[in-house]
Amino acid sequence: MQNISRKLEAFSPYLFLAPALAGLLVFRLFPIANALVSSFQTTGFSGIGNVRWVGLENYKFLVQDPTFWQSFKATLLFTLVINPVQICAALILALLVNRDGKAINVFRTIFFMPVTVSTTVASVLWGLMLNPNSGLINSMLAMVGISPQPFLTSSRQAMWSIVALTTWRAAGYWMIFILAGLQQVPTSVYEASTIDGANGLQTFRYITFPLLKRTLTFVVVADTSANFLLFVPMYLLTKGGPAMSTNVLMYEAFRNAFIYGDRGKACAIVVVILLLVLLTVGLEFRLLRSEQ
Amino acid sequence: MVERKEHRIGLYVVLVLLSVFALVPLIWTLVSSLQSDQQIFENLMPFSWRAFVPVRPTLSAYRALFVEKGFGRVLVNSFVVSFATLIAGVLINGMCGFAFAVFGFRGKSLLFFLVLVSFMIPFEAIAIPLYQVANRLRLVDTYWALILPSVSNGLAIFLFRQFFMGIPKDYVDAGRIDGASWWTVFAKIYMPLAKPVTISAALILFLFQWESFLWPLIAARDPRLTVIQVAIAQLNQENLMMWSQMFAASVLAVVVPVVLILPLQQYYVSGVTGAGLKE
Repeated sequence: MQNISRKLEAFSPYLFLAPALAGLLVFRLFPIANALVSSFQTTGFSGIGNVRWVGLENYKFLVQDPTFWQSFKATLLFTLVINPVQICAALILALLVNRDGKAINVFRTIFFMPVTVSTTVASVLWGLMLNPNSGLINSMLAMVGISPQPFLTSSRQAMWSIVALTTWRAAGYWMIFILAGLQQVPTSVYEASTIDGANGLQTFRYITFPLLKRTLTFVVVADTSANFLLFVPMYLLTKGGPAMSTNVLMYEAFRNAFIYGDRGKACAIVVVILLLVLLTVGLEFRLLRSEQ
Repeated sequence: MVERKEHRIGLYVVLVLLSVFALVPLIWTLVSSLQSDQQIFENLMPFSWRAFVPVRPTLSAYRALFVEKGFGRVLVNSFVVSFATLIAGVLINGMCGFAFAVFGFRGKSLLFFLVLVSFMIPFEAIAIPLYQVANRLRLVDTYWALILPSVSNGLAIFLFRQFFMGIPKDYVDAGRIDGASWWTVFAKIYMPLAKPVTISAALILFLFQWESFLWPLIAARDPRLTVIQVAIAQLNQENLMMWSQMFAASVLAVVVPVVLILPLQQYYVSGVTGAGLKE
């Protein structure tokens, strides 16, 4: 009896770990492995049953597919625009509200309010705001004499509209991270720099920024990977258009999986996205680390 | 810091302008949800201040959602799924965090690395391959499909571990000498001490489910399983001119996070930022 309970003792760490780790294994890590495997297979139309190994066929098909390259380019452009915009916006908000006072607390809460709106709801609401015929924004523009803009219905403006609507929510979200980082900087450091006669920009460049680097690295990396996988605004508002201008890889993968029923190709695109995320995040780490 | 007066005025001008940008969509939504479609469009063409002030408010859009669009069931679905995830998630992620904090065992650092990897990869990245897994487990179109994949949460495990590592080992020793089992140490000593981190983890788990869209969209296409975010998307796709209903549905979807996050803001913030700021 005692022997059994002692054995159970030795085993107890694993009993505590098992439920959560099993969940992570089955629902997080296994699917990634599964995507990799499926990207070398073709699954036909029925989904299960007639699985066939096709080697690099899916990838070869992607490389020759102009839609894929269009989507690849759209994704890169989107990444290059959206991440700097969101992070600068969040940084500015955080710097503005990083001081004491009751009024400042009110502004902090206001900037935080959009965070309570899910990306889905934000997309629907901004879809109505940006409606070219009867949206709020064109209605307000008309008031000051600006002609109505096409926004999401124009291949020139659609991506910028999506950047704007996602930034509305993301700025407040990443602001709280940067604010938490700023609050770890002791105020005595600022007092010293003011006495030394540093202006606002110098203080930021030489004091705030280096001390904030760890937080910023996290925010940059997390925001980049989230934006690579952004899907909802395209699904709800543009369907990848107009003229494929917002057909990012994540949406292209979704279309292949659930509209064309080509799981193999979809999984190949997911693998490409994951590689892109790894590559970009690695690059960002190097840039932010080396620049001492 | 000493600031000159003109700087302060400039600061507030900027803050007010940014607040307008943050608040206008929210105020417009709330006001429009209390209007008829006709009123909404009247206030926009041409623009009138009434777009931001509810004149002759009506609940007809909300009534239509519950009576015609089955939003009662939709909200119940979202609550059931989110609460089930919260309860199961706090328990098993708490246990897992406890094991990482208290025990030494083989493979510990490798397993913890896997936890970190799992939360650095956003859920959306695996939604498509996860569908194949759920399909094989015959979970598609069940409540289980909505709940199970989100119960284990790397961030929640991480938060519990960080907190439990700060509890002095004396607590464990005292309990163990009294003959308490590990389960008793966890449930009776550690968890009661962990209230703040439990609130953070519970908020993260609940909101993740409440706001999830892509996964329920693909894994639960049975109309009886529709959750709030998917229901809003369907309204958006269906009838383009019934704006008041879209606004009302958005208000319903946002009210729950607002009621939870704003009073518990500090727990939410320390929860989501916990991973980024600590080693």
